[in-house]
Amino acid sequence: MEILQFALRKIIGGIPLILGVTFISFLLMVYYGPDKTYELLGKNPTAEQIESVRAELGYDQPFLQRYVTYLREIVTLDFGNSFSSGERVNSILKRTMPISLAVITPGFILGNLLGLVLALVAAYHRSGWIDKAIMGFSVVGMSISFLIVVIAFQLIFCSSYGLNWFPSRGWDVYSLSDYLRFVTVPTMATIFVALGYNTRFYRAVIVEEMGRDHVRTARAFGTPPAQLLYRSVLKNSLIPIITRIMFSIPLVVISGSLIIETYFGIPGVGKVTYDAITQGDQPILKAVVGLTAVLFVLTLLITDILYRVVDPRVSLK
Amino acid sequence: MSSASVAAENTTIAVRGRDSLWSKAFYKFRHDRMGMVAFALVMAYGVMALGTVFGWWANDWSEIRGGRFDPISADFWFGSNVNGQDIFARTVFSTRTAFEVGLVVAILSTLIGAVLGAVAGYYSGSWIDELVLWLKGVLDSIPFYLFVAAVAFAMQGSAYGMHVAMVATFWTTTGRLVRGEVIKLKQFEFVEAARAIGLPELKIVFRHIIPNTFHILLVQATIVFVAAIKSEVILSFLGLGVKNGVSWGRMLAEATYEVGAGHFNNFIWASLFMFGLVMAFNMFSDALQDALDPRKV
Amino acid sequence: MTAPVGKKPVLTVKELVIEFQTERGVVRAVDGVSFELYAGQTLGIVGESGCGKTVTCLALLGLVPTPPGRIVSGSIELNGRNIVGLGDREMRNIRGRDISMIFQEPMTALNPVFTVGNQLCEVIRRHTDATRRQAHAQAVEMLAVVGIPAPAKRMGDYPHQLSGGMRQRVMIAMALSCNPSVLVADEPTTALDVTTQAQVIEQMVLLQEQFDMAVILITHDLGVVAETCEDVMVMYCGQVIEQAPASGLFTRPSHPYTAGLLASIPRIRRERLQELPVIRGMVPDLLSLPMGCRFSTRCEYADQRCQAQIPSLRTATGTDAAVACFKPLGEA
Repeated sequence: MEILQFALRKIIGGIPLILGVTFISFLLMVYYGPDKTYELLGKNPTAEQIESVRAELGYDQPFLQRYVTYLREIVTLDFGNSFSSGERVNSILKRTMPISLAVITPGFILGNLLGLVLALVAAYHRSGWIDKAIMGFSVVGMSISFLIVVIAFQLIFCSSYGLNWFPSRGWDVYSLSDYLRFVTVPTMATIFVALGYNTRFYRAVIVEEMGRDHVRTARAFGTPPAQLLYRSVLKNSLIPIITRIMFSIPLVVISGSLIIETYFGIPGVGKVTYDAITQGDQPILKAVVGLTAVLFVLTLLITDILYRVVDPRVSLK
Repeated sequence: MSSASVAAENTTIAVRGRDSLWSKAFYKFRHDRMGMVAFALVMAYGVMALGTVFGWWANDWSEIRGGRFDPISADFWFGSNVNGQDIFARTVFSTRTAFEVGLVVAILSTLIGAVLGAVAGYYSGSWIDELVLWLKGVLDSIPFYLFVAAVAFAMQGSAYGMHVAMVATFWTTTGRLVRGEVIKLKQFEFVEAARAIGLPELKIVFRHIIPNTFHILLVQATIVFVAAIKSEVILSFLGLGVKNGVSWGRMLAEATYEVGAGHFNNFIWASLFMFGLVMAFNMFSDALQDALDPRKV
Repeated sequence: MTAPVGKKPVLTVKELVIEFQTERGVVRAVDGVSFELYAGQTLGIVGESGCGKTVTCLALLGLVPTPPGRIVSGSIELNGRNIVGLGDREMRNIRGRDISMIFQEPMTALNPVFTVGNQLCEVIRRHTDATRRQAHAQAVEMLAVVGIPAPAKRMGDYPHQLSGGMRQRVMIAMALSCNPSVLVADEPTTALDVTTQAQVIEQMVLLQEQFDMAVILITHDLGVVAETCEDVMVMYCGQVIEQAPASGLFTRPSHPYTAGLLASIPRIRRERLQELPVIRGMVPDLLSLPMGCRFSTRCEYADQRCQAQIPSLRTATGTDAAVACFKPLGEA
């Protein structure tokens, strides 16, 4: 019951955020965005034809009314039809979202897990050569652009100039082995790019926790290293770790898959969004922005509940 | 002691504390070998960029001088691209673009972050703070590339759409850090004293509080600089990046069509030069943090 | 020192030297410290911050952060066994079982995400073969022993649900749970309010008798030392400058520094309020110590010899005190 009340309060508290996000993006993308009227018309349109298309696109209505329509679309989760393909936005999303999740999830999980493990190793050997080597690699990783990594990995693993082990583009997945064939290189690229940042962040969190009094107490009572890292360090660093992971979810799902999917020709939400950006397909962009904002509020809520689960000092008030 | 002289005294203490922070940091930085090497490398890139401003080199980056994908030769040190333009000149000129993008975005976003963060922190808990936090939350929740696209649409293809979008989103981290620091600083005596002698609040914020956050601002500016250069690459790939000119991002975007056919010069040189600058800047930024932040681990 | 006849010391520290590598050079934080400790005895270590008292005690548990710290030479014999240079695993078996430590900050010294009971049982089960149930029973008993009301109920509390004094009692319960021969208490009451301080100290004295432990009490509170300790060791810049039975030290200090420390205690019953005498000057930088006696820069009796030679610890004439001074008070 307490959780439900809390959830309700949080969701209501998230409304200003959703309003802000949708308003700013609506203003920029839809109101100031490109006029699609003439693209949808044949040559030499008549005045009536122009009128009817403008009415269909909603251009004839006043600004506020169009924004309210957008809000209604978010609440009802119905964003109309894509300008370019005419397909319902909902069915596009329903088709592409599972693909995006399948592409991004392994890399996201492994990138965070590996980062955490490397960070623990580095922090445990703090200032030693192992620490310096790991931190050196992570700075190198942070200094290479995502695009460079993607191009290089595709060259190395998917082209006749390199190993040519994996398909370079596309997504023909009907079995687990297909899945592994198509997902491996994108996953490696995602891990490579995220690892440097993750390792650094987690190491800083862990080193800070290691300096705390209660860790010294645990050591003074003979706690062995593995237990020390788990019980005293990791358990107590969960709040920043959870924060980082949770808050990267909404952005990674959109921005991360955007580049991967475009470059590897994978028909996920990222690719759809990219096409929508380049073609000014507003219904899709409106849906993506609106859903991301909703996802953010839900993330905030779940994060807060998780805080309560991992730290007895946090209350849901 | 009158309150004015107390204030003066405390301000000088605060200022002196700051001086010693900076002189200690300078000392520490001077003895950080990696940091100094990185700094020298950044400076070298800076000279490379300045050279194009003064017209010493690489101003023929857009000239069509050779054939399609000429190999590396005495004439074309890094080969030529699909249009027969000199990749060496383009690579070098892109350094200038990188500095332009990096500096503009770093300086503006740091300024905005400092002002909004300081005001929010000084009036923490009030509606001003709420407003800034809300704005930050909103900007953080819009997917970055979509936001840039939206700004690009809204600015009707202006060359600065990318800059505006980056500034609008990159100030938030700086703002958050400054806000936290200001909430801490607010409790110090020199602020109390300044308030006690009736200095106007805005003057307190700008003259006494923001200067005490310079160490955060400097480090944040270097981080944003790197982020801006890296984002430019992705945005150029998406067709939202640098409009009139050449950049490593545009070269890499070109390269995406070329590497499949075995033309690697655009890819290799843009990658190497970009990696060098970003790596040097990252290390420089690290050394700065080491020197300036006593708590940094 | 007052060595009980026929008893062997539980703890013998000999010529302990600990150095730290800093950015500006090597600092000798502990320089030739020696002492013995017998069961049932309480040794107070006093001195200003940075004098090496905490580092000495961390060394007893093998907790000197390495790097930058390093035990350069000397030995620490715990129950007849030298523990300097022991491996990690052996050291872990000793910590909490043979020697325990209580820290200054009860607010932060316990792990915030586990219940008090969980943390207590953890320690008990690590060092004994108690089953879960036995450990739980023993933990409840220990909480009762340190004077925590409704101990069975408190077992399920998280540290943040307890007051500072309660938390320090939990720490003491944890430290005593495996019946160690030596208990090190690093300013255990500094962070507590005055009434709680008195209660916790009283409890510690009671428990020491009950468990027949040797206790090392680090403190800057000379009042606490006078109440609880048989012997006192005064440290200055990494060296022991005076070691004496508490009774003698308070009435007749031998070292000018000790005298200075005593004089700076405010006495409420003093007839007229007068300005407290202070030791002039500042503690010297450990990187640029004076050539001779380390206190010579601040000592009003210092002469040329004091500035040139380091005095070694010797028995002062007519007292039980060992003092490192060429011109001890009352001897001149």
